[in-house]
Amino acid sequence: MERDLVEYIAKSLVDDPASVNVAVVEGDKSTILELRVAADDIGKVIGKHGRIAKAIRTILSASSGASEKRVMLEILD
Amino acid sequence: MIYEFEGRTEKEAIDAAAEELGLERDSFDVEILESLTGGLFKKGKVRIRVHTPDEAPAAKRRSANENPLPADEFESKVLEFTKRMIEGMGYACEVKVLFREEKKLGIRIDSEHASIIIGKKGKNLDALQLLANVYAGRLGREDLRVILDSENYRIRREESLVRLAYDTAEQVRRTRQSVLLEPMNPFERRIVHTTLNDIVDIETKSEGEGLYKQVRVTFRGKI
Repeated sequence: MERDLVEYIAKSLVDDPASVNVAVVEGDKSTILELRVAADDIGKVIGKHGRIAKAIRTILSASSGASEKRVMLEILD
Repeated sequence: MIYEFEGRTEKEAIDAAAEELGLERDSFDVEILESLTGGLFKKGKVRIRVHTPDEAPAAKRRSANENPLPADEFESKVLEFTKRMIEGMGYACEVKVLFREEKKLGIRIDSEHASIIIGKKGKNLDALQLLANVYAGRLGREDLRVILDSENYRIRREESLVRLAYDTAEQVRRTRQSVLLEPMNPFERRIVHTTLNDIVDIETKSEGEGLYKQVRVTFRGKI
């Protein structure tokens, strides 16, 4: 599931994997994934010019579940 | 791998297949699925199915002496990360080492879902590759570039860009009008620039902002 994918990628890229949390907000037409990481790790999941966040979003939109329902990623601080 | 192509004639369909796959015409098997001969006012239509060998020659050459299994902990971690991302997307796959060069690690992804893993213009493969590189950097290997490939996409793309560069140069020389190519990433633009670097009457320049700039090809005249 997309939630696990985001969690796995985030945990692999941050210094503090224990603080990674992904909440799922189900809507009618879309699912919103809310990613929270430790304050010091925010840059590691966003990247310069948002490159990393963009790559994660690209992968999400290509995942098999995304063909049925749109999956959106929000990074919260 | 199996692909399907269409054309007005059998030859046209095969040409399209060779072009798209970046392969020689005699290096794949062709099966005719449907053949409608065109009449005087009717266009014909031929659908073919193309069977390509599992490994295209270019890939074979590159990986000839490579051990596809991870050689150390770093390699196995990067392979595992790549595999788990793709499986997390919902696609079963196999990942192996494709080649090892100084400061480069090539990884090959085999999956029946290769087309979605690659994505339009390699978009998804590029995103996976970016994350694999960030991950490799986290493991202390910022000096190394991880390159992901599937179905020889990178090699095929490179060949088609070289062809595009020559064709564009030809057109620019004929019409004396500059041509602006579609947006490309730095790696792709570099291929266009270096391909046309040796052609004295043609000049190339990147235009635009950000990661995806466009290359303009202009006529410079005889020197």
